[in-house]
Amino acid sequence: MAYGTINADLMTTSDGVSSSGLYGFKNRIINGAMVIDQRNAGASVSGTTGVYTLDRWTVQNNSGSARFNVQQNVNSVTPPAGYKYYLGITSTSAYSVAATDILGIQQFIEGYNTADFAWGTASATAITLSFWVRSSLTGTFGGSVVEGAAGSALYPFTYTISAANTWEQKTVTIAGPTIGTWNSTNGRSIQLLFSMGTGSSFTGTAGSWTTSSYYAPTGATSVVGTNGATFYITGVQLEKGSTATSFDYRPYSAELSLCERYCRKMGDGLFGKAASSTTLVVQSPFNLQPMRATPTITSTDSSVKISDITSADFTSSAGVTGGTMTQYGGRITISSFTGLSSGGMYIVYDNTDGSIVLFSAEL
Amino acid sequence: MYKLFKDVNRNITTSVIRLSDNACIPFDPANTDYQAYLKWVAEGNTPTPADEGTQ
Repeated sequence: MAYGTINADLMTTSDGVSSSGLYGFKNRIINGAMVIDQRNAGASVSGTTGVYTLDRWTVQNNSGSARFNVQQNVNSVTPPAGYKYYLGITSTSAYSVAATDILGIQQFIEGYNTADFAWGTASATAITLSFWVRSSLTGTFGGSVVEGAAGSALYPFTYTISAANTWEQKTVTIAGPTIGTWNSTNGRSIQLLFSMGTGSSFTGTAGSWTTSSYYAPTGATSVVGTNGATFYITGVQLEKGSTATSFDYRPYSAELSLCERYCRKMGDGLFGKAASSTTLVVQSPFNLQPMRATPTITSTDSSVKISDITSADFTSSAGVTGGTMTQYGGRITISSFTGLSSGGMYIVYDNTDGSIVLFSAEL
Repeated sequence: MYKLFKDVNRNITTSVIRLSDNACIPFDPANTDYQAYLKWVAEGNTPTPADEGTQ
């Protein structure tokens, strides 16, 4: 019996099939199948800049106002075979992009997850981007792969959507850049942007690396230019090598765990001690893995319920109002109770969807 | 706009509240919300002082 062969970057099976990166963390995009939506649970999000939509996917929009909405499985079209979810964008007006506008959906990849690409050196490896896309518009579309910390290297790319309202799979292979300074630890490495409309100041020739700020190719279709235009995407994969391979289908728990390095919710079951009759300080440990950095704390429930276990329940009228965290955990503060026993112990319980707080350590 | 946040246990300022959504932002240079806060301060703005003894 013949066995397959493996070298550093290439595996060849006994029947002669070769592919790079078949095993391990093949897809460097997290939530590429658009399954996880911790923040919005399938609800629509207005596309203002920096807002997080589905996990790990954020909006780029410097035009001053939202020009599109983002929603998991918007309009409930049938996803491509093998997928259950997609990220859907709907243009909310017929907006003519200004010269300095950049609008799109993007993901920042952490340096630890791309360090083996050796980008910015003579040993830089090629990558291949693949994805499924569907739009009410047809024509040439675009995006870019960018050095995400300072924009020191940019690669605009194009792809063509041939048929309206039809899922099509696209593949883009990109030579490894020898330019740019690429983070290899817990900062921004690659910024992958799918343009929904980019102005002339930030567009340029596709298909090569540049230090010019080209976030999209010249002449690409502007989704935001048509009121009601749709753009759906799923199965996004960015892998090492020059060959697009099958989508890296990971267990739900593994994908969620990857997301939770950047965003996680907590709530019921947390335990705290009253600092006064009005304020509870609650332990918030990140037991399974630390977050990428010390997270920002946001209340997700303004009427947090707690119990002293034996006799009484209490409800805050403010929810989580702050806290002191590290990337390993810490404590949050829930304010505006009445009647707590200072020094008493309380447990958080029976809140809407079990969540009272969201921790964010996004890139 | 931002407001400083004082840790109730240690009585020291450990983070800053973004008033637009009441998010509590730690003083961690790797936190992108903190980076945005530092940019805001560098533009000449000053956060509101923390409340005393109530957080």
